[in-house]
Amino acid sequence: MTRAAADNIVEVRGLTKRFHGFAAVSNVDLDVRRRSVHALIGPNGAGKTTFFNLITKVHQPSEGSIRFNGDDITNEDPAHVARRGMVRSFQISAIFPRMTVAENVRIALQRPKGISFHFWRSDSSLSVLDDRVDELLAAVGLEQMRDKTAGGLPYGRKRALEFATTLALDPELLLLDEPTSGLGTEDVERIAALIRSVSANRTIIMVEHNLSIVARLADRITVLARGKILAEGTYSEVSTDPRVIEAYIGGDE
Amino acid sequence: MMAFLGISPQLLFGQLLIGLINGVFYAMMSLGVAIIFGMLRIGNFVHGAQYMLGAFGAWYLLHLPDLFPGLGLPSLGYWWALALVPVAVGLIGAFMERVFIRRVYELEHAYGLLLTVGLTMVIEGLFNVGYGAAGQRYDIPATLKGGVNLGFMFLPYYRLWVIAAGLFVCALTWYIVERTKLGAYLRAATENPNLVRAFGINVPRMLMLTYAFGVGLAGLAGVMAAPIYQVSPQMGQSIIITIFAVVVIGGMGSISGAIFTGLMLGMIEGLTKVFWPQASTTVIFVIMVLVLILRPAGLFGKETASVHAANISMARPNSFLENGRLWLPILSGVGVVLPFLVYPVFGMKIMCFALFACAYNLIFGYVGLLAFGHAAFFGSSAYIAAFTAASWGFPPEFAVLSGMTVATVMGAVFGWLAIRRQGLYFAMITLALAQLVYFYALQAPWTHGEDGIQSVPRGYLFGFIDLEDTMNMYYFVLAVFLIGFAAIYRIGRSPFGQILKSIRENELRAISLGYSTDRFKLLAFTLSAMFAGLAGATKAIVFQIASLADLYFTTSADALLMTLIGGVGTLLGPIVGAIVVVAMQKEFATLGAWVVVVQGAAFVLCVLFLRKGVVGTFEDWLATRSESKRNAAGYTADLAAKGAE
Repeated sequence: MTRAAADNIVEVRGLTKRFHGFAAVSNVDLDVRRRSVHALIGPNGAGKTTFFNLITKVHQPSEGSIRFNGDDITNEDPAHVARRGMVRSFQISAIFPRMTVAENVRIALQRPKGISFHFWRSDSSLSVLDDRVDELLAAVGLEQMRDKTAGGLPYGRKRALEFATTLALDPELLLLDEPTSGLGTEDVERIAALIRSVSANRTIIMVEHNLSIVARLADRITVLARGKILAEGTYSEVSTDPRVIEAYIGGDE
Repeated sequence: MMAFLGISPQLLFGQLLIGLINGVFYAMMSLGVAIIFGMLRIGNFVHGAQYMLGAFGAWYLLHLPDLFPGLGLPSLGYWWALALVPVAVGLIGAFMERVFIRRVYELEHAYGLLLTVGLTMVIEGLFNVGYGAAGQRYDIPATLKGGVNLGFMFLPYYRLWVIAAGLFVCALTWYIVERTKLGAYLRAATENPNLVRAFGINVPRMLMLTYAFGVGLAGLAGVMAAPIYQVSPQMGQSIIITIFAVVVIGGMGSISGAIFTGLMLGMIEGLTKVFWPQASTTVIFVIMVLVLILRPAGLFGKETASVHAANISMARPNSFLENGRLWLPILSGVGVVLPFLVYPVFGMKIMCFALFACAYNLIFGYVGLLAFGHAAFFGSSAYIAAFTAASWGFPPEFAVLSGMTVATVMGAVFGWLAIRRQGLYFAMITLALAQLVYFYALQAPWTHGEDGIQSVPRGYLFGFIDLEDTMNMYYFVLAVFLIGFAAIYRIGRSPFGQILKSIRENELRAISLGYSTDRFKLLAFTLSAMFAGLAGATKAIVFQIASLADLYFTTSADALLMTLIGGVGTLLGPIVGAIVVVAMQKEFATLGAWVVVVQGAAFVLCVLFLRKGVVGTFEDWLATRSESKRNAAGYTADLAAKGAE
């Protein structure tokens, strides 16, 4: 158990979430290996996003436990979990629309500096972060737009910005909720390349509908259906599993 | 029967009966407020005024012959009123929904509350103009005169009737909403109006009827209350704040919860009157505080989907109107010459209220939290400054600092309590907490009740500057104002201010980046209270008085109105708003009671037509103009390029 804990960044046991009696996630056990890309797939309504919301503590689980780096985080609040190094993205691009692109990224960079409660200081004290802001924007191809208002960016660029903001926290564990949904082919490729490049020294859990992305990026795949784990394994293992095929073709009406 | 703890059974049961009657009214009223909030997402502050309309309606019907002599109209008694008035008040409600309230459904909660606050001021103001503070008598109907002696107490028939009828109406409402098809539609429409619309149901009409029904309940309560309480324009004002507290205690979760909470709180209030009369006005608010600490969602509340901070800031960050480094010197310059152009006292009043509004803007504009109890900080600080200066001989600078300190501590405590609930609840809680302070000041010996603390000495600043001299006083206020303005500007543009901005733009995202947003909100709220306190204390020294008006909810409404008129979240908006409101109060001072009507109308007009405020609108106009100029320039350049080809 302790050896396994060292290899697994996340350990979920018996996780259940009921909404008005309906179990959106029921009795899920999941281990996520450190420095792997772990994909969650499943038909619509399988409970993927609920599961995401549970481990990032946006929802409080009805039952079960969640461990992150060996610590029980079942009863922590979402901001606290984020400060431990588990940072998520959202299905709908989550940006600060009326701030500039650079300011968006700076909000994230500012946190580890420990000056976020300093109300007496000028915000010019944040200019030391500018170089890092530019680096991160360059990484997602937004360096030309640094002073534009974030809300005015095209959708694909907003997702890129969200990605840069998330990366700014240098998270140990990155949770991506459908990172390529709603994007054009070109943007999908850009995001896929980004995910691959940032996966080198961190762990990524992603919910994704685009199976070709999953096939290319994920080391391990968990298939959810009706709130339960249907199958788990590599892409070739799960893609040939008859139960998975059944769930995708037969169950999603 | 034996006396219990030295209290006669007559007194005990008599007060319990009164408590039960109050409870029936609380239940009927909070039921209406809960239904309207549940279905329409509107915090119906005007509910108290609608209750008052019910009572006046009954009184009008009785006095028809006197009101319209020559028409030969009959005097219609209580039973007619019971049948006609709720319908009439409901129709007035339908009209209000149609003309005003419908326009703000799609907007942030804040606007619904502001709009109904404005409508309340207009309605109550008009009745105040007509009838003044004096109450009108309304007799108990002949059929219900008298009572029955139960041995241990005398039970008047009318009270028995009120309890029975009130409970019946509550039960009927519960049945309609929870058990009938119509109720099911209503509940479905709150969950998902578009879906219900797709079923072919006319949702706008349904919402109008719901509002009319809730308001009709208030009207009915008004008729029933008329023979018990006096019929007066103010009768709705105190009850609505209590009702909001009842709703916070019960939670909006269930209809039966609202009924039960109303009844229970009425009884508790009655019991308190027996055992500790001084506390009876505040007991409901104290219970609210306890419930917030122990069970934040309310007694019957369910865990609600959290509503996050609202982004209602109207500022355009790049506008030169938002540049404090430019405006601080300009304001200083204007401030220096102002006393030679207008009365210094007028200038001081504007600066005190401008600082108050700037402080309010810090929480409402910068963070997007609809606080509705800033009078508590402004007024408490005024009282403390006045008291320390008058009774302890504090020099003015220490008196002001003492006031500010108390306001800051209160801000931290109130913020800690209120931040447990979101959206409209936040407004209701801050309002109720401020009312708690108001009732305290009404009764505490050191505040001198209705008189307030008068003849506060201005004293010598730093021991040698005589503030009795108007010019000295003026420049002291100017210095205080400029320091406050600069500090608030700095807070908005500090690392902390950046996080506040991110919270109002997208609170969920700020949380997911690891910011415990509640702590940021609390600090912002505390700072806002501190500057509101600075404004209040300074005001007390300038005008040499601290009075109940400083603590009353109208003062909180003033701060809101100034911020709204000027432009929420803008740098200069609160100042512009303060100038407009203070000037308006001065201009209309001769009209007496009409001031409230005018202010209420200003509220309504701002919410409907000027949501960006004066400064916000101006910034927009400047931005559009510079954009169209740029476009025009681009177009000319294009033409030139084409010509060159």
